[in-house]
Amino acid sequence: MDENENDRREVSQEKMFTLKKWNPVAMWSWDVECDTCAICRVQVMDACLRCQAESKKDLYGKQDCVVVWGECNHSFHYCCMSLWVKQNNRCPLCQQEWSIQRMGK
Amino acid sequence: MLKEKGQLRFEDKWTYMRPIVLKLINQEPVSPSEWQELFYDVHLVCLWDEKGPQKLRDYLHKDIILFIKQAQTKVLAQRQEEALLKAYIVEWRKFFTQCNYLPTPFRQLESSLQGKTTAGSSSIQGSNIKKGQNDESIVRKLMLDSWNESIFMDIKMRLQDSAMKLIHAERNGEAFDSQLVIGVRESYVNLCSNPEDHLQIYRENFEAAYIESTEMFYKLKAPEYLAENGVQAYMKFADQKLKEEESRAQKYLEVGSNGVIQCCVNVLVGQPLPVLLAECAPLIKAGETDRLQLMFRLLERVPEGVQPILKELENHIVQSGLADMVAAADVITQDSEKYVERLLDLFRKFSKSVHEAFSDDPRFLTARDKAFKTVVNDTKVFSLELNTGRITGTKSVAPESKCPELLANYCDMLLRRTPLSKRLTTEEIETKLKDVLLVLKYVSNKDVFMRYHKAHLTRRLILDASADSEKEEDMVEWLREVGMPADYVNKLARMFQDIKVSEDLNTQFRASTARHDAINIKILNAGAWARGSERVTVSLPVELEDYIPDVEEFYKKKHSGRKLQWYHHMSNGTITFATNGGKFDLDVTTFQMAVLFAWNQRPHDKITYENLRLATELPDGELRRTLWSLVAFPKLKRQLLLFSPTQTNPKDFTEHTIFWVNQDFALIKNGKPQRRGKVNLIGRLQLSTERSQMEDNQSIVQLRILRTQEAIIKIMKMRKKITNAALQSELVDILKNMFLPSKKMIKEQLEWLIEHKYMKRDDDDINTFIYIA
Ligand SMILES: [Zn+2]
Ligand SMILES: [Zn+2]
Ligand SMILES: [Zn+2]
Repeated sequence: MDENENDRREVSQEKMFTLKKWNPVAMWSWDVECDTCAICRVQVMDACLRCQAESKKDLYGKQDCVVVWGECNHSFHYCCMSLWVKQNNRCPLCQQEWSIQRMGK
Repeated sequence: MLKEKGQLRFEDKWTYMRPIVLKLINQEPVSPSEWQELFYDVHLVCLWDEKGPQKLRDYLHKDIILFIKQAQTKVLAQRQEEALLKAYIVEWRKFFTQCNYLPTPFRQLESSLQGKTTAGSSSIQGSNIKKGQNDESIVRKLMLDSWNESIFMDIKMRLQDSAMKLIHAERNGEAFDSQLVIGVRESYVNLCSNPEDHLQIYRENFEAAYIESTEMFYKLKAPEYLAENGVQAYMKFADQKLKEEESRAQKYLEVGSNGVIQCCVNVLVGQPLPVLLAECAPLIKAGETDRLQLMFRLLERVPEGVQPILKELENHIVQSGLADMVAAADVITQDSEKYVERLLDLFRKFSKSVHEAFSDDPRFLTARDKAFKTVVNDTKVFSLELNTGRITGTKSVAPESKCPELLANYCDMLLRRTPLSKRLTTEEIETKLKDVLLVLKYVSNKDVFMRYHKAHLTRRLILDASADSEKEEDMVEWLREVGMPADYVNKLARMFQDIKVSEDLNTQFRASTARHDAINIKILNAGAWARGSERVTVSLPVELEDYIPDVEEFYKKKHSGRKLQWYHHMSNGTITFATNGGKFDLDVTTFQMAVLFAWNQRPHDKITYENLRLATELPDGELRRTLWSLVAFPKLKRQLLLFSPTQTNPKDFTEHTIFWVNQDFALIKNGKPQRRGKVNLIGRLQLSTERSQMEDNQSIVQLRILRTQEAIIKIMKMRKKITNAALQSELVDILKNMFLPSKKMIKEQLEWLIEHKYMKRDDDDINTFIYIA
């Protein structure tokens, strides 16, 4: 009986396959309903047009061009929206008054 | 001493003057007092006798003619050519020397005579005198014109004939005193008193005769030589003769007399051109660079000579290049290294011959490039089918050269840790990468290269399989330098940046908790790495699944507004396999892990395909491929899994095929099973699934459509109105660094843009388009 138990423990301790190292891969993206920024028409996962032009010299471009969500849940490049509200404090998509719900980080 | 005007008569004075004048003409010595007297008498005659200057001129003329007649007699007494030339030159030189002396005492006469003819402003007169007696002197002109009329006209034909006979004799190898011909030519040049064109007499007589006799000579000689000695010898002959005639012309003709060489080129090269050209193809084929060089040197001299050689060269490169590829098809279709090496060997061979035979003449470099492009993009040996499944919009897609794919594979072999890259030094790798870029320059569809290159780079970065990360980033810059589209190159650069960001994140994650030594996370920017690519679901073994919430929790704390998606078809790891015979470390994909871990609860069981599918939840195709890598891994003598019934293709697995772990698994070295060891079973990690491969192809076609549309709009916006032909050429110009748009695709996209009112056809000309804002 003891021997049997020992045996079983041996088996459960010494599995046939044991994990030594795992290199999982995940992709992140902005949690948005629409992939494209309606202001500059560039995908939100890419830097906005202005940032792309600026980072041309800087090879690897900084990834600081984040996304901003309004109370209406519409999302844009933060750079694009901050220029937009200077002209017109409404969401370009639904015309509701613009107020920031959250910022991407 | 001074007398009134009219009292002094010319005739009286001439009696004293004439003996001195005759001495001067005959080059006899004149005493200083005689010389001075002559000056003074000329002065008096011009001053005191109204008709004096005119008379003086006439009498002087008579005596000059007299002298010339005597000289003529002496010259014409010579029957023999050389003697005649010699005599003429002696007389001429004597006379010509006097042309410079005799006018001096008559300066007063010059001004009197000119005063009469140009009796106007004194300033003109003054300047005329200042110019000196030599060029403008009336006496000198009188002397030269007299020589011209009284002796030269009579004997110039004999002079020319004699001179040309001597040159003819020289061409036939006889030596003679070249000064004779040169002396004659000089007399022709100096004789001319036309101040506007002092070469007139020379050109109209001497040079004309020279050209005519040269032409006669070679018109006879060239065809004769060609007939007797054949083309090869003839080319050497013509080349040598042209060089000879060039130096002969330098000796016997005035500077700038190019007519004779033109004439020689025409006779020696222009006339036998077809015969020479017929020799071109065989010479190129045989790689006879020395002879080609000779041929190029000759044919370059005639306007229609080079074009046919260019054509032949291009044909040859295309034909022999393709023949070479076809002959080696078996090897190169299997082995991208051999393929690229082969292409480069060809390129070097052709470049070498262009260098050696044509001195890297730009026209020949262009022909080489054009031909090489044809070879690189040819689809005979193998073609890449952009198989797009059922795609709307475009129908069948023309096959394309597989070259860009193979180039990308070769790059991967150089940049990844492979036996090849381990064998080579850093410098060698750099050279070879540059070679790839060289070939890439000739590839029409660079977008295909980009797609494969990016896929390989993705695999290298995710598996940490780069041989040299510095070289990796160099390569990105080199791609930029050779003109790859900026947005593509930027995307690659972004991947490097992203992988660094991810490494930092991993460090932070592992520092945040003690129990994660076994995990190494990569969280990447979907926009840079995997836009639109499809994920594959898998049911992870609990050992792995446990980590997921921890990572997600951690990530949420670091970032906000982001969502994570796990790409398990990209993940991988190392597991330890304990068998009866020993312990082995296996590098495996997460899918392989999921399959193998199914046995951990039941090590000795035989599990059906159906049950493995339930355990892993892998899609059918993915599961078959994963199982096959475990039952038939090429490098292993003993496989990890065994199965029944035996199949030779994963497609033939049925629901009831059974699999079990090979308890006698061991790595074999030198024929002996080992107790310990490590093996990599990842192989070509499936970064894209079968379906997303199809989507990749589809996206490449769709991307081409999109790029074409964008480019058309860009052109229309700028031009407003443009013909079809002009539009097509601008379009190719814009797109050529990505791909060569087919005529068919351009047409389809034009139709689509017209239909959607981006532009329209001109009402008056259906081949002109108008932009609609
Ligand atoms: Zn934007
Ligand atoms: Zn921005
Ligand atoms: Zn809104």
